[in-house]
Amino acid sequence: MTAAGFNPVPAAAEVPSWDSLFAVDFGLAVWTVLTFGALLFVLGKFAWRPLMAALDAREKSIQGDIDEAKRQRDEAEALLAEYREQLADGRRQAQALVAESREAAEELRRELEAKARDESRVILANARREIERERDAAVDAVRREAVEVAMAAASRLVDERLDSERDRKLVTDYIDDLAGSGGAWT
Amino acid sequence: MIGMTRIFAPLQEQAAAQDTAAAGHEGPFNLGDMLAHHILNAPEYELPFIGAVHFPHWDWAVFQLGGLQVDLSPTKHMVLLLLAAVITAAMTLFAARTVARPGAGVAPRGLANAIETVVVFLRDDLCKEYIGHGYQRFVPLILTLFFFILTMNLLGLVPWGGSATGNLAVTATLAVIVFLVIEISGFLTLGFRGYMKTIFFTPPGTSGAIKYLMLAIMTPVELLGKFTKPFALAVRLFANMTAGHMMIFTLIGFIFIFGHIAFVRWAVAAGSFVFVSAILLLELLIAFIQAYIFAMLSAVFIGLMRHEH
Repeated sequence: MTAAGFNPVPAAAEVPSWDSLFAVDFGLAVWTVLTFGALLFVLGKFAWRPLMAALDAREKSIQGDIDEAKRQRDEAEALLAEYREQLADGRRQAQALVAESREAAEELRRELEAKARDESRVILANARREIERERDAAVDAVRREAVEVAMAAASRLVDERLDSERDRKLVTDYIDDLAGSGGAWT
Repeated sequence: MIGMTRIFAPLQEQAAAQDTAAAGHEGPFNLGDMLAHHILNAPEYELPFIGAVHFPHWDWAVFQLGGLQVDLSPTKHMVLLLLAAVITAAMTLFAARTVARPGAGVAPRGLANAIETVVVFLRDDLCKEYIGHGYQRFVPLILTLFFFILTMNLLGLVPWGGSATGNLAVTATLAVIVFLVIEISGFLTLGFRGYMKTIFFTPPGTSGAIKYLMLAIMTPVELLGKFTKPFALAVRLFANMTAGHMMIFTLIGFIFIFGHIAFVRWAVAAGSFVFVSAILLLELLIAFIQAYIFAMLSAVFIGLMRHEH
């Protein structure tokens, strides 16, 4: 068999004329209208409408899910913020408490210190006063003793040399001197 | 077109001279006849192993419609048209049933998912985008146009198939349907006065003589514009499909033309095979693109008309 012997066009086929390429076949046009009309009707009713409804429903449900997720996230964030706020608040309060108690202790310490210092000052003053009093008393006693001794000495001198006018004047002057100056005793 | 049969005449005559005993086949190979057989409409359908099936001529289905001869007898393209409609319906109904199944908690897969993706794309990126407000009413039309045209285009790439969109009657009718939708929806949206403005257009700010001059110039332009849109739709689809098939069958035809030349026939056959495979892939792309363009331009034209002010 030669290759040229094979003809891909079936022998029985009628070869149509090329004139029909641009000639509109109105029978086919009517068929197209009927077919497309029927297809549009059937698909519109049984394919596109349920499909669109399903898509819309799914879109709505997804949108709902997204909204819900967003709402929950917002809620969680608000909650977190609240907890953080509370935590910070608690920490602040604790710090305030610590500071307050520290201050109170300090205050107390200062107060006690001041009181102790006052007391010690009072005690010191009292002691000083006591000492002064004791010293005054001692000075008085010494002075009195001195007068007594002087008087005793004087009386003894008087018993022996009372006639000496000059001795008498000496003792009297001495006593006067003691009483008058007072400086040597104080 | 007549020239088509003459292009390879010398080769064919040579082939005829060598073709001494073509058992079971009448006449030598003729590329023009082969193209005509595969591309043009005829009252017969070639089936595998069976051969050409002749359709009966329905005398009762022939009538005059205002001076037009309408013959409803079955033809190859009519069968392909109905077949495409059945396939489109089967696929989309299946997809709709799968997607809209009650309690479908899981995302659809496979064919239904593919169709759903295309449907969502056409709805959002064509209808919503180009038609705008109130687009929902046009979604079924655009979707049906796309899937129906796509199926018809793809049937042309199937062995023993053929595409009804390679027939001007089919594409022109679809274009006329779109034209009617454009004009009627435009009329309903714009009202009588608004619709008239799409024909008798005067640019804003013109008056007096200028206005009437503009009216005289623009009215034929506007009217022409109304008819060129569907004309372009019809011719674009028809020409793309026809040209694609011509290319494929011409490349295949080379194998038969050079079949008797011993030294080149295998090279020619191999080259044809490679080229036809490549062109078929291209045609697959074009089948989708042309269906998309037809649907997209329909949406664009409907939207343009409705937003005319």
